[in-house]
Amino acid sequence: MSVDRTRDFGGYVPAADDELVICRCEEVTKGEIRRAVRDGMFNVHEVRRFLRCGMGLCQGQTCARLVRAVVARELGVPPSALAEATGRAPARPTEMYVFANEEGLA
Amino acid sequence: MTRYDVIVVGAGPAGLSAAAEAAAAGARVAVFDENAKPGGQLFKQIHKFFGAKEHKAKIRGVNIGAELLAEAEGLGVTVFLNAPVMGLYKDREVLVRHADAVRRYKGDAVVVATGASENMLTFPGWTLPGVTGAGAAQTMMNINRVKPGHRVLMLGSGNVGLVVGFQLLQAGCELAAVVDAAPRVGGYGVHAAKLARTGVPFYLSHTVVRAEGTDRVTGVVVGQVDDTWNVIPGTEKRFDVDTICIAVGLSSSTQLLKMAGCALRDDGAGWLPVCADDGETSMARVYAAGDVSGIEEASSAMIEGRIAGAAAVRKLGFVTEEALAVRMAELESALESLRGGMFAPGRRGKIPDKTDEGLPISASLLSRGYLDDAEVDQYPGVKKTAGIRPVIECTQNIPCNPCRDACPKGCIKVEGGIVSLPVYDEKAGCAGCGLCVAACSGQSIFLVDDDTGGGAAEVTIPYEFLPLPGEGERGVALSRSGAALCPAEVVGVKQSPAYDKTALVTFRVPQEFAMKARFWRKEAVV
Repeated sequence: MSVDRTRDFGGYVPAADDELVICRCEEVTKGEIRRAVRDGMFNVHEVRRFLRCGMGLCQGQTCARLVRAVVARELGVPPSALAEATGRAPARPTEMYVFANEEGLA
Repeated sequence: MTRYDVIVVGAGPAGLSAAAEAAAAGARVAVFDENAKPGGQLFKQIHKFFGAKEHKAKIRGVNIGAELLAEAEGLGVTVFLNAPVMGLYKDREVLVRHADAVRRYKGDAVVVATGASENMLTFPGWTLPGVTGAGAAQTMMNINRVKPGHRVLMLGSGNVGLVVGFQLLQAGCELAAVVDAAPRVGGYGVHAAKLARTGVPFYLSHTVVRAEGTDRVTGVVVGQVDDTWNVIPGTEKRFDVDTICIAVGLSSSTQLLKMAGCALRDDGAGWLPVCADDGETSMARVYAAGDVSGIEEASSAMIEGRIAGAAAVRKLGFVTEEALAVRMAELESALESLRGGMFAPGRRGKIPDKTDEGLPISASLLSRGYLDDAEVDQYPGVKKTAGIRPVIECTQNIPCNPCRDACPKGCIKVEGGIVSLPVYDEKAGCAGCGLCVAACSGQSIFLVDDDTGGGAAEVTIPYEFLPLPGEGERGVALSRSGAALCPAEVVGVKQSPAYDKTALVTFRVPQEFAMKARFWRKEAVV
């Protein structure tokens, strides 16, 4: 589902639990995610690029659902309305020197 | 690039089953797993599984894992460990990490059996050391042999929370409480009853308000929730715990399917691949099996794996259409029978008022984790007869029937389908051998002899804690709710290879407690 970008969601309003860490690997808080949505990041994918949540060591294994729930709540839509972030290789965190070291290549 | 007929991602129950099935048909099969040991979650499942014989019921998960691995390797499957799959691309190309290098493989068919990961719940303090997934705690205990903590609060009353809760007790931890935001116990009643009779309280319609502590968990505050899941002020309760286990569900690990371009759908609880009945995704010859295609039990995952493996080798021409049809019929009927009962995947969240037999479902079991003493007599596994007899406190329709095959005298009947409640046929007579007690994966069968002379009765319970009590040892009999009833002396402790590590402890109580006493504890204080 694409969210209407011309719709006025109003500005960010601080909440009591804004300090709660949602993405542990990249230490992104609930408040940062909520603010990002108000600043125009209208889906999980954009929030991830903007804040790096879900791009740490666990690759979103822990926080993907949590981030989606925060974004959905902020937009006032059910979480199922938001697509998950794109899946890309490497599916597991991998050092660049390993990724580049392909067996069988000269 | 190395080619295999079938490449399986994940060496858990589904993956190993798919690999074995495909290899048995003559396919060249490789399995890749990121872990150092194969088996996925099977090797940490130290409890006996539910189901029927064909589902390996009453066998402990760890032993099923060993059998499955031996079967796959015996059939020539190559299992690559410490080999994370980094990518799944067009035309079933698989990129795998081996140590400091990556290698490309190509599978004529690929079975993705990557399982699931634990859901987390956020509350103030959720990132403190001591807050852990229940599955992670189970890995610590049963794989790495490390106690996750000393005093634990379990959040979540589904089967994962209940099973891991019991295993925490077995590992020597205290379980302060089982808490669930839902108004009813989510897992099997028999699993809940195992905890309740040891004295573990259930707090339904409760959730964690916050974890306390600065460097680690030192306590937890829970509170009752209203209809909108908000905590009702004034209902908070605090527990001294050093560990909080989170068992609030699992999410399928669909990353590889997603990057391969397989169509996904949101089933309300999470994203799942769109699959045909044989597990094939929207990408030709890419299959999904086990938890990655929908969260179920390991027993179902093993059958799904076999279905995917069988379908893949048919597509590759290793077996005929006729042979496939025969095999599929077997597998689908096995899967169908596992998916019956009141906790069936299709019925999730909808608990009926009555069993299939028309008996009331115990509200006490659903809200407190144990049967009310007054309810027990109405179930068909409970009949009052003279002499020793089994008392089968199995009151929910779940897919399980090992008790039927356990009784050498045939006095336990499970008729009209695997989910039917077991019936004690008093005409067949009970020899008191205890095989049913040990065979019951839910530990819900007891032997009772109401009159052993002098106003005493004897109760035999399944006992899976160490150290075992000794004969003559005095302790206290506990009720189904875990309340101390009366002093109780152990008069028998039986162990046998046929019991598979479940000991049978018999204790003597005054007659009035014969149908009330369901656990024994060492402390003599009442």
